[in-house]
Amino acid sequence: MPSLLPPDPLESRGPAGAHSWHWYAPRVAIGLFVTALLGLLWLLHRQDVEENRASLIRDILWVEQNVRFSLDRDLEQLAQLGQEISEPGLGLRQFELRAQHLLSNGPGLLRIVLLDERGALRASAPVSGTSSAGGKLWVRQGGEPAYRLACGSGRSTYAPAYASFGDTEFEVFVPYYRAGRLAGTVVGIYGIKSILAGLVPWWLAEKHRVTVRDAGGNVLAAKSNVEAGQPELTHQVVLDPPGYGLLLHVESYGSKTKLLRNVLAAVIVTLAAAVMWNLRALRRHIQRRLVTEHALRAEHAFRKAMEDSLVTGMRAVDLDGCIVYVNPAFCKMVGYSAAELIGRRAPQQYWPPEEREYIEASLHAAREADAPRMGIELKLMRRNGEQFDALLYEAPLIDAEGRQAGWMGSVLDITERKRARELARQQEEKLAATARLVTMGEMASTIAHELNQPLSAIASYTAGCLNVLEAGETPKNELEAALHKMAQQTQRAGRIVRRVYEFVRKSEPTKISVRINAVVEEAVGFVEGEARKRRVKIRSQLSPDDPELHADRLMLQQVLLNLVRNGMDAMEAAPSENREILITTARADASVTVGVVDRGCGLSPEVQERLFEPFFTTKPEGMGMGLNICRSIVEFHRGRLWVEPNPGGGTVFAFSLPVERTPHPHPPPQGGREARTA
Amino acid sequence: MSDAMAHIVDDDEAIRDSLSWLFRSRGVHAQAWPSAEAFLAGYSDEMRGCIVLDIRMDGMSGVELFDHLLARGCGLPVIFLTGHGDVPLAVAALKKGAFDFVEKPFNDNDLVDRVIEAIRREDERRRQRESEATVTARVAQLTSRERQVMERILTGKYNKEIADELDIAMRTVEVHRARIFEKMGVKSAVELAQLLAHAR
Repeated sequence: MPSLLPPDPLESRGPAGAHSWHWYAPRVAIGLFVTALLGLLWLLHRQDVEENRASLIRDILWVEQNVRFSLDRDLEQLAQLGQEISEPGLGLRQFELRAQHLLSNGPGLLRIVLLDERGALRASAPVSGTSSAGGKLWVRQGGEPAYRLACGSGRSTYAPAYASFGDTEFEVFVPYYRAGRLAGTVVGIYGIKSILAGLVPWWLAEKHRVTVRDAGGNVLAAKSNVEAGQPELTHQVVLDPPGYGLLLHVESYGSKTKLLRNVLAAVIVTLAAAVMWNLRALRRHIQRRLVTEHALRAEHAFRKAMEDSLVTGMRAVDLDGCIVYVNPAFCKMVGYSAAELIGRRAPQQYWPPEEREYIEASLHAAREADAPRMGIELKLMRRNGEQFDALLYEAPLIDAEGRQAGWMGSVLDITERKRARELARQQEEKLAATARLVTMGEMASTIAHELNQPLSAIASYTAGCLNVLEAGETPKNELEAALHKMAQQTQRAGRIVRRVYEFVRKSEPTKISVRINAVVEEAVGFVEGEARKRRVKIRSQLSPDDPELHADRLMLQQVLLNLVRNGMDAMEAAPSENREILITTARADASVTVGVVDRGCGLSPEVQERLFEPFFTTKPEGMGMGLNICRSIVEFHRGRLWVEPNPGGGTVFAFSLPVERTPHPHPPPQGGREARTA
Repeated sequence: MSDAMAHIVDDDEAIRDSLSWLFRSRGVHAQAWPSAEAFLAGYSDEMRGCIVLDIRMDGMSGVELFDHLLARGCGLPVIFLTGHGDVPLAVAALKKGAFDFVEKPFNDNDLVDRVIEAIRREDERRRQRESEATVTARVAQLTSRERQVMERILTGKYNKEIADELDIAMRTVEVHRARIFEKMGVKSAVELAQLLAHAR
């Protein structure tokens, strides 16, 4: 058996592996999808970066321009201030006012200093503590070249930046002239931090970090509302004026949208990974399923093979008697295909119509909860109408949940077996009958021979005597001797006859007190098996008045068995609903009448006439002694046996027996034919 | 030499006695034998008449006795007495050469008639057998030459032809012929032919 089962679940990976491209396609698709998505994101990012760079450049240029404009405007105003100062009439007071005004309007302008033509401090706004001391050159050393250049060229010149009190400052020297000669210089001092604070708008600072750096890259001032970190983009332009390598540097930081996008990308990748994992899990699951399925299929094939090779027919019905399953053997047995059988309700097409009632009753009995689980013999019909004997074992069909779902029946065709059994039985019966006949024949022949001897002798003596008498003149004594011998032979014959009687007398019956109903019940018990086999029902209708009889129980049973068997023989060809024998007992005064009523073919007048003749029989294997014996037994019990037609068809054999107390037999009933002949 | 009589073989005394009485009443001599063995013991080839044999007997049965008799070359006719069930046995016996069978209980005078007939037949056959024996004895007295001549006479040849064939004188043939007629006890060739044909 193990060879029929799947050899190893691992081997079944083979077929699953052959279709692995099924599994690679979705993976590749997902990979491509993710790649494309990432590419798109990258492109977007690139575009974004480009855009940012452009906007950064735009912004920084804008800032640079703004600074330049502001510085240029201041320059103009400083020049104007110098011009106005050079006019007579305008005192230092005037300068201070104007300078104050300028300081408050010019972003980044920290101080305005007025120098005289020699470069000494004349005035400063705001007023500084350090006033000009003796015409000493106010200009610091680093700014001197610019100052000289400005004074020399008459054009405003910026000086290099320098660090001062935590800030980085630079000056612009604006010379002014009066009457064509240098009258002094207005110096504007700017703080780079202040410039950034005043000229870089807030919205720019939101996005970028704007710094001013010197040529060495040192940050001189910065403005930013964003936190410092690794910049994403940087750009710088030369801050000119004031020049001297000052650079305006802008750094851009990643926006929040970028973070969102990255999160999105991460989510997509995660999802793709999850899909891949799911796919893998699914694949493993399906592989497991395939293995199981394969095992299941192998198991199913094995069961099917078993089922198909079964010789026993199987059929299952649900609780309503509707066929739900049949195996091939059953189909072959009844000659219908499974499709024709499944779904059919009782009565089934393979039930012979005349057996239907019996089959239904048998099935019902077999399905009783406490019915013994033994086979029931049924007659079923093939499609071609041929009937066959079947042995059915019915058992409850229990489903997986332990509930009864119906009935499972296994059916064996026992026609051959039964036929063989029947044949053996018939042969045995024939043999027994032959043996009886041989015995009887032997006995009769012996008696005949025995009787023949004296009879032949007598005949010879007689003929001899007649011959002698005819011839005349015979001595009287010779005739006498012959007649004497004849008489002896006659006595001899008589002795033989007596001996036969004595032999018969040896089987003297034993009479005891019996009750007729008990006798009938016992007899029915004896014959029931045979009746069932011959599909005859035996019903008894017993009298409630059950008197005691003085009789031989076995002999009475012999009579009943004989009569019941005769009845069954008579109903051999009767339809099944008529196959019934009724046994009645009735009490009438001093006798009990027992009737055996069949619904068979009845008796023709000729048969009825010769019914009780010895050796008269209507059966091929009969001896013609049965009814004779019955009658002898009944008469031995001082009763009578008679026969009358059954009004409903068939024949009634009846016998009456006197009840114990009354010694006189009951007169025969009207209409019945008297069986007594003596 | 004993007289022709009916030999009754039956184990039943009454049957033997009654049949003896019956046969005697018709003038047929009868001898009763109580069993087949007794009959075989007393049997001799000199016996004449017929045997009335019960087919069913204690000891040796009638049929067995019949077989023994046939084996001993007994030519006496046998009439079987049979019961009802023995007819097949009797028929088998008839095929072996029994004279007849009579079923019990029998019509007695018919049986006697059959016995008389059997005795008559037996007598006839005996006589014929005896005449055959005579002819054979006479032929035995002939010389070989005479026998040669006789054969040719029987074929109807003339003396002259015989003389030519045997290469003897005509006269010698005539002498042989006379001697043959004398020895065979006949007077003519026709008589000789009849005698030999009958005996054959």
